[in-house]
Amino acid sequence: MSGVDWLVVVAGIAAIAWVNWYFFVAGNDRRR
Amino acid sequence: MTVGADALATRPAARETIRIPVTGMTCAACQARVQRTLQREPGVQDASVNLMMHTAAVTYDPRSVSPDRLVEAIRETGYGASLAPPERSAFAEQEARDRAQAEELRELRVKAGASLALGVVAMVLSMPLMMAYAHVGMGTRTDPLLHRLTEWMDGALGGVLPWLYTVEPGLLAAGLMVITAFVMGWAGRHFYTRAWSAFRHHSADMNTLIAIGTGAAFIYSVVATVAPGFFLARGIAPDVYYEAVVIIIALILTGNLLEARAKTRTSSALRALVDLRPSTARVARDGVEADVPVESVIRGDAILVRPGERIPVDGEIISGESAVDESMLTGESMPVDKRPGDAVIGGTINRSGAFRYRATTLGADSVLARIVKLMRDAQGSRAPIQRLADRISGIFVPVVISIAIATFAIWFVAADTAPAVRAMTASVAVLIIACPCAMGLAVPTAVMVATGRGAALGILIKGGEALQRAGDIDTVVLDKTGTVTEGRPAVTDVVLASTGVLSGSDGEIELLRLAASIETSSEHPLAEAIVRRATEDGLVLGIPDAFVSSTGRGAAGRVGRLLVVVGNQRMMAEREIDVGPLAGAAARLAAEGKTPVYVAMDGGRDGSAKGPALSGLIAVADPVKATAREAIDRLRRLGLRVVMLTGDDERTAAAVARQAGIDTVVAGVLPEGKVEEIRRLQGEGRVVAMVGDGINDAPALAQADVGMAIGTGAEIAAEAGDVVLMRGDPRSAAQAIRLSRQTMRTTKQSLFWAFVYNVVGIPIAAGALYPHFGLLLSPVIASAAMALSSVSVVTNSLRLRRAAVS
Repeated sequence: MSGVDWLVVVAGIAAIAWVNWYFFVAGNDRRR
Repeated sequence: MTVGADALATRPAARETIRIPVTGMTCAACQARVQRTLQREPGVQDASVNLMMHTAAVTYDPRSVSPDRLVEAIRETGYGASLAPPERSAFAEQEARDRAQAEELRELRVKAGASLALGVVAMVLSMPLMMAYAHVGMGTRTDPLLHRLTEWMDGALGGVLPWLYTVEPGLLAAGLMVITAFVMGWAGRHFYTRAWSAFRHHSADMNTLIAIGTGAAFIYSVVATVAPGFFLARGIAPDVYYEAVVIIIALILTGNLLEARAKTRTSSALRALVDLRPSTARVARDGVEADVPVESVIRGDAILVRPGERIPVDGEIISGESAVDESMLTGESMPVDKRPGDAVIGGTINRSGAFRYRATTLGADSVLARIVKLMRDAQGSRAPIQRLADRISGIFVPVVISIAIATFAIWFVAADTAPAVRAMTASVAVLIIACPCAMGLAVPTAVMVATGRGAALGILIKGGEALQRAGDIDTVVLDKTGTVTEGRPAVTDVVLASTGVLSGSDGEIELLRLAASIETSSEHPLAEAIVRRATEDGLVLGIPDAFVSSTGRGAAGRVGRLLVVVGNQRMMAEREIDVGPLAGAAARLAAEGKTPVYVAMDGGRDGSAKGPALSGLIAVADPVKATAREAIDRLRRLGLRVVMLTGDDERTAAAVARQAGIDTVVAGVLPEGKVEEIRRLQGEGRVVAMVGDGINDAPALAQADVGMAIGTGAEIAAEAGDVVLMRGDPRSAAQAIRLSRQTMRTTKQSLFWAFVYNVVGIPIAAGALYPHFGLLLSPVIASAAMALSSVSVVTNSLRLRRAAVS
């Protein structure tokens, strides 16, 4: 895997984490 | 001051409920979002948003929040809302909703049509572009369907428009960019505005998926248009996906259009009811007859109806006779004979003679308005199974976005050629193929169609919950009087006790007169039969004094100075009156299905102080309904256990049960005993439906898992019961249960297929078939599949309109 590939994988994992945090965690906190 | 402060502190929170029409909601996620937003507003105690009725019912504290603020809160989520005029009737609300629906349909038709046309133009313009870069890297279009289509179009286009291939690729791409931006900004604008407002509220719905999917494809294409060299330098064709964006939007709009059209059909039963209301009435005022708008008819107006005309409002016939077709309200196909004193219902059709009648209930209190309101509330209610769909669609969109990101990363790393392009198309296809709408539509559309179908059969189902529960029933408890029998008992025999003070035919007449005098104050059907017979025989009834009614037993009082006790064996036993002298006669009559009503009176006609003694009995029989046996057969064929409950003694009950074909009978049950009996059956783990009249059996109907109130015509106003059988035909109970079972089957089918569609479609879009079959799904095909999935769910629900329930 090239450096770009690693970058995409890391960015992908970060994006998935952010999406789940934004819609499930932050969203629920705000709803409470 | 202290008192005032205390009073304020202990004052309960004010509660008001308002219904706000909401526009623009397309799926369960939209509805959940508006609902959550309203629930978050300070002062809101409860909020329930209905996707099919496009309304939000909000219970709030008017001291903390105003209706205007609630409307504002809905608008902030990206949906339309406005306050409905408070005095609006059920009719006006339905008409307003129809108008809004027609407007939405018209707009969708224009947008979908224009987008499809522009999609074709975009496809034609993109053909030379694809060919221009075909030599760079490998072909990026691995969707076999689209591959064939492009090959065919390329060949055809080369022959018809050869000059198109000579145009500079950059210019073509720029032209496509403009067309796509126009379609996105005009026809697809609401996808982006709603997605953005959802995002701001930490929510995501179908619009989010479409916005990200098409947005990503558009941005990628813009980069390829502006800087093609960047791609060419890396051996990647600078392919653009403008045509995909336009066609995705066009197909989704077409899907929305077909869905909206089908949804319109789901409420056709309600619309048909609203259309029953005539616009004018021929009213006689001050001796002058004139046609006046139905809204200006007042209570007490004398109205003239000619043969073939629709009866404008509810009322009572003053003069004339006719047969009235009430099928549109009760489902009863035979016209009903009407004479002076009979009630007529607004909206029904006068078939044979002309008559004059007095207007009684009007406007929102009329039978038709109440049915429309009941149906509207039922169609807008939520079935418990909806919660499953809500739970799934609540987490669905963020999960799909996560899958799309993972798809991008995996393709980018794993693809042997053109990784960025592959990654982009696969992740866009994932976003576009995922369809939360199909899951959101399964339950409400089925509830809507089933309640409409029920109404056409004369079965009013008061909501999704009742509909779902009726499908789980395994035991049906029938009340005897009015359900299995006609509910209009008649006196058949009068028997005098040899030990009593009365004798001969005069004695029989006197027994009937005295019993009827007592029963004038009672509302029991048996009492009514005795009074009716006495009145028909021209007997002069006395006015009872010191009247005492004993529920489920009988009544007693003084006629003149004579104490008269009328009732069943239990009543007599409680007063220590020996019924022995008539035991044989009572047994014989009971075996014939007749109910013996004992009559006891003071031993002497002179009112001497002796206690009452048995004087005779009056046998009353209630004929078994002609359809009862068939109804019981149908219930049994549905695998249901049928039980009959009655306050009558065992012999009478057994005779009636034999005629109707019922083998389980619980006799001698007091009204409160019916509740106990149902509770006992429920204790055995049975799911019980109680069929009885809405007034006397109200507690039992409430105790049962599903209460079915049976009545005819105007009586349907019965508030008790989850289901109202308007035809008064016990076969309707079997129809209601069958309809409910079919509805639940349809709902589960739709939910299952919607779920399977997503579970299968998403991996295919992500490229799961590529390693073995070399198959990739283009976003265009994904959008067509997505549009098709919601349409098929609504179409599946519409099948209930023709479901066999009889």
